[in-house]
Amino acid sequence: MSERLSVGISEFRIAAPPAKLVTYGLGSCLAIALYDPERRIGGLAHTLLPSSRLAADITRPAKFVDAAIELMITDLLAHGAARDRLGAKIFGGANMFEPLLGDPDNAVGPRNIRSARETLAGLGIPLLAEDVGGNFGRTVEFDIASGEVRVKSVRGREGEMIF
Amino acid sequence: MSFPQLNENQLDALREISNIGMGHAATALSQLIGETVYLRVPRVTMTDIGQVPELLGGAEKVVAGITLRVLGDARGNILLIFPRDSAQRLLQRLLGSEADGLLFDELGASTMKEVGNILASAYLSAMGNLLHLTLIPSIPLLACDMAGAVVDHVLIELSAAGDLALMVETEFHGANPQQELIKGHFFLLPDASSLALILDAVGGGQ
Repeated sequence: MSERLSVGISEFRIAAPPAKLVTYGLGSCLAIALYDPERRIGGLAHTLLPSSRLAADITRPAKFVDAAIELMITDLLAHGAARDRLGAKIFGGANMFEPLLGDPDNAVGPRNIRSARETLAGLGIPLLAEDVGGNFGRTVEFDIASGEVRVKSVRGREGEMIF
Repeated sequence: MSFPQLNENQLDALREISNIGMGHAATALSQLIGETVYLRVPRVTMTDIGQVPELLGGAEKVVAGITLRVLGDARGNILLIFPRDSAQRLLQRLLGSEADGLLFDELGASTMKEVGNILASAYLSAMGNLLHLTLIPSIPLLACDMAGAVVDHVLIELSAAGDLALMVETEFHGANPQQELIKGHFFLLPDASSLALILDAVGGGQ
């Protein structure tokens, strides 16, 4: 039996095997998984907004893509991960509704995706896989033992995919 | 701007205006489906944004969600959440079809949006008349997916201002024992800056 730990909105969590980190029902929100395959430790964040830089309120930094990535890295390093072994995978950032006005690239989902790519590139963390965009929700399960991430959706495509 | 703590009077006032607004919406729905629609007394909940999907029945539950932006004097979002089977029954009632994939075809989708439009307009016009505010619904948007994914854009919007959401929630259901139950949830999530305005208008500002 492996332990399933749920990661809520605006939260991140790190874990070691046999834990699985799960976050449910991502729409425009973005989940970020970071993993050190040698130390077998990983973290998962469920973020809402692209950037903490322009934010009025940062009492809960893990709601921002950029701040959550940085916090998670710090926490993983403190628990024995090595920075140069870390790799990232990102999931979510959908546009759940057809755009009414304006440029769909400026919707929050795509902005979250861009922020994650930029933040990771800036920190030198390779982006190993991504399953982002589209117009459907995702549930993400990150198996820390293997580093695999299962993505489940109920619409847009059938069944599960593994990243 | 973040949400203030509300006192009993203010909570009562919110419940009462929502009850009246929802009463009008229920009448509209009842005329649409040709049966009596029952309402539960509204609940007003101040909750952490992260808890909202749980209050909608769980982040992974598949629902038909219609969302409308409230425009005009006060701003916020309206969410109408139907469990998948209820949405399907509602469509069967309205369109007289037995098709299973109904929710995802164009006619089904546009019917659901129209239902959302009718309910939200009835609710907002009753509330606007009562409070002497101009409240206009935007065009409805529809998604049939996991509840968490359907609502997270509203949470994202609220989260830019703080970590709390104020939800005024009503459950409604039809009551024809010969037919399976149609039920749904109606949510009003005012923006933090509009809450004060609504409370002032209702006279419960103090």
